[in-house]
Amino acid sequence: MMARNWSDYKTSSWVQWCPACGNFGILLALQKALAELNLPSEKVSIVSGIGCSSRIPYYVKTSNIHTLHGRPIPVAEGIKLANPEQTVIVASGDGDLLGIGAGHFVALGRRNMQIPILLHDNAVYGLTKGQAAPTLPLWVKTKALDSPNIQSQINPLLLAFASGYTFIARAYAYHVDQLKDLIKAAINHKGTSLIDILQPCPTYNDIMTKEWYEKRIYYLTTEDSSWDPMISSPEDFDAKAPKILSKMTEWGDKIPLGVFYINMSTEPLDTRIEKILPGYLQYPPAKRPIEIKSKPLVHPFTEFKDRIVQT
Amino acid sequence: MPRKEIYFILGGPQGAGLETSSSVLTSAFTSEGYAVLSDREYYSNIVGRHSYIHATVSSTKIPRSLTYPVDIVGGMDAETIFTHFNDISKDGFIIYDSGVENTKMQQIISMEKDVYERILEYFKKNNINPDVKSLVNYIENNSKIVPIKLDYRNILNSLRDKFSINSVEAQKYKSSILIGAVAGLTDIDSESISIGIEQRFRGKQKIIDANNYIAETVKDMVQKQYGSPLKLDHSLINMDEFIVASGNDIVGMGKIVGGVRYQSYYPITPAADESVFLEAHQAISVNGKPVSSIAVFQTEDEIAAITSAIGAALAGARSATATSGPGYSLMVEGLGWAGHNEVPLVITYYQRGGPSTGLPTRGSQSDLLFSLYSSHGEFPRIVIASGDNMEAFYDSIEAFNYAEKYQLPVIHLLDKFLANVISTTPLPDLNQIKIDRGKLTFDPKVKGPYKRFDLSEIIDERPALGSGVVMWHTGDEHNEYGHISEDPINRKEMYEKRMKKLEIADKEIPPEKRAVLYGDENADFLLIGWGFVKGVALDALDELRAQGLNGAYLHLKMFIPFPSKYVKGILDKFDNNKIIDVEHNIMGQAAQAITTNTGYIINKFILKYTGRPIYRMELVKAVKNILDNKSDKEVLVYGE
Repeated sequence: MMARNWSDYKTSSWVQWCPACGNFGILLALQKALAELNLPSEKVSIVSGIGCSSRIPYYVKTSNIHTLHGRPIPVAEGIKLANPEQTVIVASGDGDLLGIGAGHFVALGRRNMQIPILLHDNAVYGLTKGQAAPTLPLWVKTKALDSPNIQSQINPLLLAFASGYTFIARAYAYHVDQLKDLIKAAINHKGTSLIDILQPCPTYNDIMTKEWYEKRIYYLTTEDSSWDPMISSPEDFDAKAPKILSKMTEWGDKIPLGVFYINMSTEPLDTRIEKILPGYLQYPPAKRPIEIKSKPLVHPFTEFKDRIVQT
Repeated sequence: MPRKEIYFILGGPQGAGLETSSSVLTSAFTSEGYAVLSDREYYSNIVGRHSYIHATVSSTKIPRSLTYPVDIVGGMDAETIFTHFNDISKDGFIIYDSGVENTKMQQIISMEKDVYERILEYFKKNNINPDVKSLVNYIENNSKIVPIKLDYRNILNSLRDKFSINSVEAQKYKSSILIGAVAGLTDIDSESISIGIEQRFRGKQKIIDANNYIAETVKDMVQKQYGSPLKLDHSLINMDEFIVASGNDIVGMGKIVGGVRYQSYYPITPAADESVFLEAHQAISVNGKPVSSIAVFQTEDEIAAITSAIGAALAGARSATATSGPGYSLMVEGLGWAGHNEVPLVITYYQRGGPSTGLPTRGSQSDLLFSLYSSHGEFPRIVIASGDNMEAFYDSIEAFNYAEKYQLPVIHLLDKFLANVISTTPLPDLNQIKIDRGKLTFDPKVKGPYKRFDLSEIIDERPALGSGVVMWHTGDEHNEYGHISEDPINRKEMYEKRMKKLEIADKEIPPEKRAVLYGDENADFLLIGWGFVKGVALDALDELRAQGLNGAYLHLKMFIPFPSKYVKGILDKFDNNKIIDVEHNIMGQAAQAITTNTGYIINKFILKYTGRPIYRMELVKAVKNILDNKSDKEVLVYGE
């Protein structure tokens, strides 16, 4: 197979984000990741919710789905359960994933399905003109707000950790190559992964700007070359979790980026299903015939013979 | 004289094993060649509230309805006796525990206050002391009803010596006391009872043996003293085998035969049992070899249930979800997305009493109009409704065929009545079953840019995600490629393309699959109904015919696309004063759907919205009242 280039994943659609929007960096990083993984376009589905970032499906040449507000995760889960061979990626905003869709965000962690979540985190509802999103810190007043934000922010990393995500990372939208590497790792991770992507919104978030972020962000591995997010056993977890959690809570003058946590000791959902339903991966639900010449594959009276009573 | 039909009620606290009594007796009567319809009425509660099964057993036909009075009331507890003594026919039997003889009604904390007050008033009027012994004495002195007093504790204690089952554990076998008593009065073979018990407790030999022992002991006890006064006539139902199943189970069976490969659900009464049935059949094998699997997925809410089912449908699986009113309310936004994106999806909708939490364990038909109009915007959907187990089985398969053929969501309406009724069901005819996946493809011919919503056709080829082409889906209005478009011309054409699928469905689906007239179109009067009303309407008509009143029944099965021409044609044959709409709601929702689709206005109604099924005797009486011009509307209330 010929190696693919990132531009193979471009579409002819006009990318209609505001100039300098962080989404551009995320789009490019995603296209580069797909190219480097050499994934066939039709074997990938990017599933988004509603909002500025959720327009990303139109700009990537893969079989994509722009769903309802808050619902990209369950749509992605349905695809993956029916056809585990499909690469399914959720890309959506902080309001979509942590506000209206927070229940699904949490539930996905319990399942540890191989679905990477790209959280476009700009702390505002862009498409409705700048209301406070769940990641906007308390008392911050962006220019679209009439008065300061009176609701506290959610820490997406901690929420993912508590929910059972097994790959948790934070990235910065304009660091395209670093983000690309994280996306590749997340796609390949056998479990649920979150990349919280800090993303300036030049139109509505006049506080958390490019300058604001770039003064604060640093990479975990730059500060500490021995940084090791990999957990492969319960003992490992006990040893490393305190440090990981303390890094996850760091926010303010310094904001760490990189991979915080990888847990290889939790089974993904398809392995669990295979245990109770041997053959699931070999005969996935969507991929097998259900009829032979319009007649059902299953003979009802043999399948349910325990319910049949002879007179 | 042997009986053609018998009716019984067995009651006790929720959680005490009445479901066992129901399924064992249904299987036992069925293996004797009789047919049973066994309803289960229960509170929204796990342990302790009054529940009962109410059954019709017939030697002449598959029973379709329930009625009062009953021949037997059997009580596991005192509450059953207090609640149902008035339901017994004048020469019937009341089976009770000598251990509760001294129980006073005010000691029963599980009793609903209103029920208590109602019965107490009756007791006062008739000078009965509110305890079991006084009540039984009163019944004995004032009717030919035979009280059958059994010492439950003593009977259960025998399990200690025979099977080393202690007295706490032994309580679980109370249901077999009632099974044995019914078996005695009706003279069913012990072998048939043990077939029922084995079916229920497959593989648990000690439980099977102990239940058999109790049933057998009680059967002998009852027969020695009372004979078999309720013995059924030789069966005229000439069939070799039956399926014994609840509506929930039969829908599960239909879905499996129909090729369901993804089912999502969030637990809700009365829908969850269907998904539990599917979970037990997830592995699909042919001749012992695994060939496929059904992903049954319990989601975090009904929003995820419908949206994940959409995902699975896009991936190419036959995809469904099952729910009830509150769950469906949450699904509505997803329904619109599916309709807009031409996603084949089946929503199995078991109606219960609403609004809000309503009567969660009781039946209703009050969600018809909601299912027809739910969602903002306009898009095509198909709405079908099943009236009995046979219909539910075929409809569960047909629902998938419609969904995939016309690429739209199909709402399959059922109700709690059918969901929980266990009945003797003839084996479906395999020749009637066809799988039609419409234009689904795993190998699209076109390469390169793909028009999933090609305007040159009304119904397009539908590639499964991952199969050869790149395509887009969106909740925004889309162009042919599935990209967002707000262009007014595209909007008009896409809108019309979607809606035109209903015109095609309307042309293609034959009227007999959408409405069925039972009886003669020259009959003197017409009942109209849908869903579970079917059985009681047909049985009431038989009874009325025997009284010289010749009626017909129009059974509505498909509400979208509505069989307007056919229905209007039938209605025009009858006198408007002799057309009666029968439904489990207050608005006459099916009558409204008829008016919307045909312009015809129905003026006579028989309605019931207490959450209990319509009983044959109350329907017969109500029909006569309306035909006698005593009223235009009858509201039915029988049943606890």
